[in-house]
Amino acid sequence: MSLDNKQPLHGSSAAPDAALVTRKLHPLVDLQYDRSTFDELQNRIAKNGPWDDWTLYQLSMEAEQAKRIESFEQLQCLRSLPMLEPMPHQISTARKVLHEMGGRAILADEVGLGKTIEAGLVLKEYIVRGLVRRTLILVPASLVLQWVRELNQKFGISAVAQKKAHTWHYDVVVASMDTAKRDPHRDVILGTDYDMVIIDEAHKLKNKKTTNYQFVTELRKKYCLLLTATPVQNNLDELYNLITLLKPGQLGRQSEFAANFVVDKRLPKNEEQLQTALSSIMIRNRRGDGGISFTKRFVKNIPLQLSADEQALYDAVTAFVHERYDESGPDLSSMLPLVTLQREVCSSRDAVFLTLVNMFKKTAEDSPVRAKIWELVEFIKKIEANTKAEKALELVKEMNDKVIIFTEYRATQEYLLQYFRSHDMIAVPYRGGMNRGKKDWMMDLFRGRAQVLIATEAGGEGINLQFCHHMINFDLPWNPMRVEQRIGRVHRLGQTEDVKIYNLCTLGTIEEHIVHLLHEKINMFELVIGELDHILERFEKKDGSLEQQLARMLLESGGSDTELREKISDLASSITQIRDEVQQGPELQAGTQIVSQMTALGQTVEIRHE
Amino acid sequence: MNEKQVHKFVQRYLEATQCQVLEKSPCHFTVKLSPDADRELTNRPYYWSFVDRTNAAPETMTYLLVTDREKYDAAQAGTLPAQQRLPGGAFGAAGTAAGSIGSAGAAAFPGAASSVRPDAGIGPANTIASPTVHGDTAGLASTSTVPAGSGSAAAGPAESADSSASTAAADTGQAAAADAALGRSLGFVHGNINQTGLRIPREEMYFGSRKLDQLFGAAKSKGSYVFLFQEPERGAASPYSSTPYTAWLGINMRVEFACDRKREEIHSYGISLATGYCTEQFHDRLQRLKLTPRLPANIHLAKNGLSFNKALSIMEQALERKLKSYDYEWAGAATERLEEELERIRLYYEPLIEHAADDELKQSVREQYEQRQSEIRWQYEPRVTASAINCGIFHLEGIE
Repeated sequence: MSLDNKQPLHGSSAAPDAALVTRKLHPLVDLQYDRSTFDELQNRIAKNGPWDDWTLYQLSMEAEQAKRIESFEQLQCLRSLPMLEPMPHQISTARKVLHEMGGRAILADEVGLGKTIEAGLVLKEYIVRGLVRRTLILVPASLVLQWVRELNQKFGISAVAQKKAHTWHYDVVVASMDTAKRDPHRDVILGTDYDMVIIDEAHKLKNKKTTNYQFVTELRKKYCLLLTATPVQNNLDELYNLITLLKPGQLGRQSEFAANFVVDKRLPKNEEQLQTALSSIMIRNRRGDGGISFTKRFVKNIPLQLSADEQALYDAVTAFVHERYDESGPDLSSMLPLVTLQREVCSSRDAVFLTLVNMFKKTAEDSPVRAKIWELVEFIKKIEANTKAEKALELVKEMNDKVIIFTEYRATQEYLLQYFRSHDMIAVPYRGGMNRGKKDWMMDLFRGRAQVLIATEAGGEGINLQFCHHMINFDLPWNPMRVEQRIGRVHRLGQTEDVKIYNLCTLGTIEEHIVHLLHEKINMFELVIGELDHILERFEKKDGSLEQQLARMLLESGGSDTELREKISDLASSITQIRDEVQQGPELQAGTQIVSQMTALGQTVEIRHE
Repeated sequence: MNEKQVHKFVQRYLEATQCQVLEKSPCHFTVKLSPDADRELTNRPYYWSFVDRTNAAPETMTYLLVTDREKYDAAQAGTLPAQQRLPGGAFGAAGTAAGSIGSAGAAAFPGAASSVRPDAGIGPANTIASPTVHGDTAGLASTSTVPAGSGSAAAGPAESADSSASTAAADTGQAAAADAALGRSLGFVHGNINQTGLRIPREEMYFGSRKLDQLFGAAKSKGSYVFLFQEPERGAASPYSSTPYTAWLGINMRVEFACDRKREEIHSYGISLATGYCTEQFHDRLQRLKLTPRLPANIHLAKNGLSFNKALSIMEQALERKLKSYDYEWAGAATERLEEELERIRLYYEPLIEHAADDELKQSVREQYEQRQSEIRWQYEPRVTASAINCGIFHLEGIE
């Protein structure tokens, strides 16, 4: 775009100084005339042209009249965002930031209430009003592209991801904090006056002494938004530090703050006053307590009996795994691939085969293990059909609706694509390795043409599939967070239907145990979103990740099903205990709950889609 | 601006810039831009500098401008099934989806339409094969054996298409896809390729959309300075008498009232260069007249009694008088907030500076304090700015 097309810098020093004339209008207000246009008119009169078209002259005036900001208060951005339907609490949050907080605020909504939307609304409003042009958005590296996409697609804001040095000259730049604070970027950023700075995951700024904190302190900014779902993680000082970034002195000096509001690091006093003080700078909307926040989830386990050939392979692999374990002793790290092998049998022969081939290559040529691996391959050769795939196809045909199938393994994914295609069912693939454009394309195809999406990746940004409400777990990850991420793709804000989840579960295998643990024992499919994080975080503090613990149990049980069952049952009860603690909440986590208990900082939002 | 107003606006812009409207309805235009409009709207400065330097004949872009998305999509969805019922209709339907520019072209190369990107949303069934064909290693074995028509299960009507036609279509489809890829990597689609109904970029024109904003900008960049004459009414004046005309300086001013928030007003002034008489709502008056850039016959211009600068200062004084009569409570409130904020950080920083351990620290805290102060002023200080939207010299009948 040429320079002429750019918006003039409203009320800033864009025009040459000579063209600016200042007059006193009121004791408090100066009037500034920008005469640059008249200079140009005189210039053209002197040169006798060139002259513009009368229709375009009128259109130009009409455009200005349409864009005119009539009042200080009315939210202007909504009329220019016909595609966006913000929820009422998001609009009222934006209003409050704009009208009562002067554009400096901490947005601390609970997870899933749309802090990004709120920030986008505020930013868009300021841009529409010509109060903001230069904007810097600092987010964790993994979220950069997601922010760029949301701002562009939802808000029509031309945000760019910072890639090269020259990117800094764009008006709205999204960058990771780690990049921004490093040379040579640091100097560029600190040398710029930003009309607006937005920082996502701002709880990472809780510590005053970090370079991140120093860096943000040094930024020159007019408006500023800090986004975090957890403004207080450990102690109240964190909150104080965040607020100091926005409005130093809002809670007094550090010593005053401590004297007025803090009993113990984790325990506030004068809570009401604290809430009042906070309410001028922080908004925290909370999910309704009574409400089921989302549509319902229905989980159904589909038990499957392996065919004789498949069972033979499973047994052979299990025997192989335990043999290796007995040979090499309890070195867990070298044993993990073996556990994987066992899991893969429950998925597809293609997956096992690939792993076996790799294992074969890695084994020394003279090792007796090679022969054993070869034996396993013989078992694979015998298998003609995949019980799970047949069941999956049957389910898909029954649903007669969009469905997403998740698998852990690339080989299974490819097998399924081929299998479905050979049965005249159109399926599109989705995986982590695809580039952005391709992912988008696959999404579009799934939305428009294909009934089935087969995905290996659930995490990361970008796949939001609210238009689909059937999901098949072809196999289950052992990490419950990843299961939750899978579900989160379809079960999220904007989903209008109840979500149906099918777990394919082969009986008499390790998979049966896992499904049993996750579904019946932990009941994880019905946990409130966000709860699982807490539970796992506490659980894994003790003995390492759940995945590792499961693998260890599997190996240590030495193939005895009863022993394994017992161990998993113990594991389940310790998780259940933690869950109960987390759900009871307040007393146990006084520190972390302080702010989340405060009700004066925002509204309670019941999100229902009926 | 509602859909109708946007539509009218777009139409007038296209007419004023001599764009060639290929097809239109109350909810869309398919338009081949004129060179002038293309320069403003297509973001291809390199292409235009190439054209300028080599004197090559420019090839402008064709756009589908949708001014009412809902109606347009509904209309498209409505026409689609009807066309699909025709034998081989799937291809024809894709042709319309692509904007039906040069429908003869689309008919001549029916397969070309099948390579329309899936985001067009409407296309024949055989496009579905493309993800498996192009997908990297998608599928273990059957990638190479997928025929173009394998998606037929998904769309019944396509089955009625003559099978030999669909093979031929697959061939042309591939050629067109190659052209499309070429077009994408070159950054523009040459008009000749466009003619085959390949890909016409669709732009949504609603208030706030990027393309409409760009149109606003384009109108401004070529609609800022005018020099016009009122057209005398036909036959009104006898050929032997001469009508007196006055030159006016016409100005549209935007006034911004800003602190941490903002509102705007627009004022239109006309100042007679003959007498110095100043009038408001001048733009409204101009819009009721017929204006032309050419000097009409049988008129004479009254002598200018005052300089351009004098006229300007008359306007500025008039505006200033008006603005002085306004209520400035908002500015008072903003100043109050400003003072409050300054006081708050004073209480925070002064003790910090006082108790700083050494001079170096003291200096850095002081700098931080000053930075915060200037940020607060930047944020809250009330100010009023007046700048011209556009202006011109208008020669109107009569002496005022």
